[in-house]
Formats: sequence, C-alpha cells, structure tokens
Amino acid sequence: MSVDVPVLETDRLVLRAPEPQDYPDFKATFASYRSRFMGGPLNAYEAWMLYAAEIGHWEIRGYGMWMVHQRDTGETVGMAGGWCPAKWPEREIAWIIWPDKAGKGFALEATHRVRAHFYEDKGWETAVSYIDPKNLDSIRLAERLGATKDAEAPSIDGSDAVYRHPAPAALRGTQLAHGIDMEIANFQDPLFKPKGWAID
Amino acid sequence: MIVPNAPRLETERLILRGPEPSDAEPMIAFLLDRERADGFGGYDHRGDAWRWFALNIGHWQLRGYGYFTIELKETGTPAGISGIWNPEGWPEPEIGWVVFEGFEGRGIAREAAERVRRYAYEDLGLTTLTSNIVPGNTRSVALAERMGATYERTYMNYSMGEDMLYRHPGPDEVLG
Repeated sequence: MSVDVPVLETDRLVLRAPEPQDYPDFKATFASYRSRFMGGPLNAYEAWMLYAAEIGHWEIRGYGMWMVHQRDTGETVGMAGGWCPAKWPEREIAWIIWPDKAGKGFALEATHRVRAHFYEDKGWETAVSYIDPKNLDSIRLAERLGATKDAEAPSIDGSDAVYRHPAPAALRGTQLAHGIDMEIANFQDPLFKPKGWAID
Repeated sequence: MIVPNAPRLETERLILRGPEPSDAEPMIAFLLDRERADGFGGYDHRGDAWRWFALNIGHWQLRGYGYFTIELKETGTPAGISGIWNPEGWPEPEIGWVVFEGFEGRGIAREAAERVRRYAYEDLGLTTLTSNIVPGNTRSVALAERMGATYERTYMNYSMGEDMLYRHPGPDEVLG
C-alpha cells in the first residue's frame, strides 16, 4: 500500500494492513451467517470486491480497517478500524471478529486500541459506530467501550442505530478507561480461575 | 500516488495512468448515470459508486493490475477508463473500457484498449484475453470486433447476469 499503515500492538494482538494473503479468512466470515449485520452473507465476487474496497479505503481516506492478528500464532481473528465510505454521515469505528474467534475479548482489545490511535495520534475528536439494532453483541460491545446511543445523530439509512464513542478526554486516565483495561486484562488472565470442579 | 504499482502508458493522444483521488468525481458521475453505465454496471447510490472507485484501487493491489484512468494528453482531462479486470468469480482476465460523456466518437476507447492489450501481453505476460460484453451493448461489440476479438460463448456473470465472452487475438498476433 502506498499509504503508511501503522502497525498497532496490544498485549495479545498485532494490527496490520489488510494483505492479499489474509483474504481467505475475510471471505470465510463474509460468506457466513456471521456477516448478516454487515451486509452479508456475500458471494465470492461480492466478498472479493468488498475486500478490495477495504484496501482502497485506506488509500483514499488515509485510514481504514486493520487486519487483526493474534500475536502468538499470527492467525487473523478479524478486523477493526475506521470506516467512512461515501454516504456515511461521519467517521465510524468498526469491528468484525471471525466466528471461531469470538468470545475472547479480541474485539474489545482491538477496538480500544484503534480508538486510542485515532484520538491520540490522528486527532479525531469524536467517532460513532453504526450498528444494526438486532446486533445485540455489537451493541453490548459498544457499551463496554463506553459508547452511548446518540438519537440525534443521522444514521446511514435509517435502519441502523448510532452509538457515539466517549470523547478523547473521557478516556484519558478515567474510571471508564481503567474499567476497559481491567476487562481486557481479565480476558488475558482471568482474575477468578476455578480450581477443579464444583462438587454438589 | 494511490496506486504506486500502476505504470504510465502512452499513446499518440492519451496517457493511461493509475487512478488518482481527483478521478473519483468523474468516475462516480459515470457510474450513477444508469443509461451510460448500463453495459458496465452502474449504481443508483453515490455510496456504492464511491465503493467501486475504492475497490479498483484494491484490485490493483490484490491483482497487480486494474483500470487505468484515460487522460487526454492535450488537456489532462480524464476521458474514461480502460484496464484489465479480474475480480474473484470472473471467468478470466478481461480488457474493459469506458468513455465518459462528451468523449465519444473520437476513437479514444480503441486507442486506450489496444494499448492496454499490448501492456497485458508484454508487461503482465498474459497469454490470452477476453472482453465480457452484455447483450445489447452494440458499441462495445463493434469495438471488440474491430480489435479482432470474436464471440466465444455466453455465460452468467455474478454481477451482470447474462454476459457474452469475446476472445481477443493472442500475443503472437497482437505483438507481431
């Protein structure tokens, strides 16, 4: 890519530019029921064209969606980043985690990192996430990230809910930021580890 | 440069170069013109047309080729696009061409497409090329035939539906 895509790191994840070799993982998820809230499921042609558009978005906007890799295995687990194609009312922070990688806190960890990048390195003052009202997992995640429903903000086409992320200042050394860090830490190393099985 | 791997090709009257941000508006205008874009695959919404502009950039990165912007040497104006197209699901790489409103009837499409065909054989090393044309697009059929391409078969295209596949003469014939 001609645009410089920064590599972002977290404890468990490395976020890199989407590359041609990552496409099969993307395609598998967008061919599946998992993508139903993101315009899918898509056929092979549609999935490839969307992946190409993800790459073009980086070149046109200077930011975009990172491919999220597990640090230890290098495997991809999903994508997270900024998304603002034409007709989007404002810049969105978006995420998708492959179905077999869900439930490990990767979306929270990756999205928290990209949001910090946009706020602290790129000077964004605000961001939203456009979420299908039926996509309860994503609404839950938006709320865990401190986002709240913004009923005043325009949506993409009226069928999506707008969640507004907390402003940069609300994430600098605050209880909210600490809570997110704690939750991520708990995914990495649970505070409560049952020893053996309950006997009853 | 948003497509660093796109070469700059020249013909007598034209420059073929990778897409630049300033090409977005003329391209989007073309794609939203349902009548003109009918044979190419047009869109009703600006967001979808923008996405096509973005995915052509991605096509260049994923395949190493894509659609060039055709620029008039004399004025520097974008007059259309021509290139090699081969998204997943396509039968095989094809040469495509589009001339924007106001630039028809001057042989621009042919001049660009012939240069692109030479580039595909000489520089990309392709050994055969097709053009996919929807039935009823008589202007494109006429150009394909003037370029020496012949009808091979009709197939179902993922995005265009029923589509005719024309096969171009091979490298030996074209490069002489």
